[in-house]
Amino acid sequence: MENKELVLENTLVQALQEGFTRLEATVKRKARVEAKIDKDILPSLLLFAKEKLGYNHLSHIGCVDWIEDGLFEIVYILWHPTEKINLLIKASTERENAIMPNIDYIWRQANTYEREMREMFGIEFPGLVGRKDFILEDWQDIPPMRRDFDTEKYVNEHFFNRPGREDAKDVREQVAKRSGEDIPEFAKKYSRK
Amino acid sequence: MINDKNSQGIVDIIAEYARKQSLFIMAYGTGCGAIEIPPTLTSRYDAERLGIRGAATPRQADVLLITGYLATKSLKRVIRVYEQMQAPKYVIGFGSCTINGGMYWDSYNTINLLDKYIPVDVYINGCMPRPEAVIAGFEKLKELIQSGNALGWKKYEDNLEEYRENQKKVIVNWQMPDYNW
Amino acid sequence: MDLLIKILGALATVVLAFTVGMTYGGLTRKVIARIQNRIGPPWYQNFLDNLKLILKKEAVHHGFMQHVAPLWLIAMSITTLMFIPILKDGAWFTNFNFDGDLILLLYLMVIGSLGMALGAGQTGNPNSAIGVTRGLTQMVGFEIPWVMALVALMIQYETTSITGLMDAAEAQGTWLVFSSPFATIAAILAMPGMFRYSPFDIVGAPAELASGPVSEFGGKYLSTMMTSGAIFAFVKLTLYVDIFFGGASNLVELVVKTFILYMFPVLWGAVSPRFRTEQAVKFFWGWPVLFGIIGLIQASF
Repeated sequence: MENKELVLENTLVQALQEGFTRLEATVKRKARVEAKIDKDILPSLLLFAKEKLGYNHLSHIGCVDWIEDGLFEIVYILWHPTEKINLLIKASTERENAIMPNIDYIWRQANTYEREMREMFGIEFPGLVGRKDFILEDWQDIPPMRRDFDTEKYVNEHFFNRPGREDAKDVREQVAKRSGEDIPEFAKKYSRK
Repeated sequence: MINDKNSQGIVDIIAEYARKQSLFIMAYGTGCGAIEIPPTLTSRYDAERLGIRGAATPRQADVLLITGYLATKSLKRVIRVYEQMQAPKYVIGFGSCTINGGMYWDSYNTINLLDKYIPVDVYINGCMPRPEAVIAGFEKLKELIQSGNALGWKKYEDNLEEYRENQKKVIVNWQMPDYNW
Repeated sequence: MDLLIKILGALATVVLAFTVGMTYGGLTRKVIARIQNRIGPPWYQNFLDNLKLILKKEAVHHGFMQHVAPLWLIAMSITTLMFIPILKDGAWFTNFNFDGDLILLLYLMVIGSLGMALGAGQTGNPNSAIGVTRGLTQMVGFEIPWVMALVALMIQYETTSITGLMDAAEAQGTWLVFSSPFATIAAILAMPGMFRYSPFDIVGAPAELASGPVSEFGGKYLSTMMTSGAIFAFVKLTLYVDIFFGGASNLVELVVKTFILYMFPVLWGAVSPRFRTEQAVKFFWGWPVLFGIIGLIQASF
């Protein structure tokens, strides 16, 4: 079936907006629809998408650390097997004492993602089943995937470095030195030190 | 720790010859390098013609092959495996990650210098080393064994406290016996 | 003086069995390598492996029984070797040939495995326990056609002595493989189970059980078990040649006959994947047992 006019996507946006009032839904491009929602009504939206709209496959749960806004954004990627549309549902929570609703009763595989997020970002999911240690063993620092975790400092404190090691150089400077050109002005702010 | 060649008796020479011609390897394959071991051992490169074959358990093995990056979590297992092997035992560090951390040098979860935690006799560099490089590394190990210089296991016995200190720096919750027989 | 010659003869037998068994092990690796289009290790590779293992500076054991099990195994192998006629006639290698019979041998050949089971049990390794269970199950499988074949021969020639069977073969002018073919087929089909080559390597499955019962044995213990395995392989092959293929009157004949016979489990193993335990038992209780029954019927009439 030809879908040039994004008919299916627009119908989906309409259906979502009819079901939920506090929801922003947009068509990003073909076969991709994005919806932002408050975290309190997130489980009901996921259930709605699964039971009524037929998005019965949870592809992935991702987490983005917006340190500037003080937010964690959790992205639930759902997939419709027959309409072939990815539905991205985004919900945010504040970084301090982050708590998200646990959804592993809707999709069991969500449990794995949630345990990983609990360990790597420190987001709590009330009622989550599973041991505290998942991938990291005996971790005592702040969760390592947070952006305020300084990996290099941690590595220098905990591991050894081979003496005389001269790599880990700035790529831009090395390329500029090799080619004999100057670094452009706009690129200088991205350089390492 | 250089051994004088003249101090080797005839028995030593025969013993070292047997040791170098019969290497049972214990491939610790959690890193990406594990994929280079099957072609090394099977028909294409046929390491068995050099006396190298796989061992099923650490008790029977002579060479511990650390293939690629080593996560802090698996370091504990590597130490257990190493200590369960029977002396004389040798360690081959395989790939850049064991030498200086490689592309994972600033990862919070992989160690950078393998020889701070267990003694390494031969390093094979590359990311990943091809089977030819692996076989060249084994040839180097054989040279060291024949000349009586592959003494990493002795170094480990002598400097056990130092190694333990480094290991406990990474393994915070040390729930093991002092030596894992 | 007579005793001294006997002791020297026994020692010579052990050395012969060890050398031939180890060489066969090396040649087997070479043959399998050639089948897989490899060059393979030199024929003396097993000697080097054994030497290296015995020269290991450490050998950990977890208790008395594990310490004793390899000794038990090698003692059993050598005892069995003493009761096997190596050559048909001549003063050499006649140890206790005329004193034992097949029934004694049937018992002796099992005792080693039992000692091994006790030793492996003490290591506490779960793989060892599984391996021992599988080994005893497989033994139940192949012992039935094997015993059936031997009993058929005992009935047919009215003797339980191995030398008696060899004399019978000489008296009738043909090997027993021609006069009692069904019993021979049953015994030969039971052979891969004894040698534990590939379809029947369920005991020490390296990738599955981490070499099974021997997984906690290293250094000199493994070396002793390797030696025992080499001697025992020679014992089994010589027994087969003695009973079914007319024995051998000199060492060259013995080596040729045993090597050809040895290639049967080896070549089968080189091209076969591993059976599961119940598949192995099912195999042994199928055609081999059928041939054993036909052999028994043939022997009774």
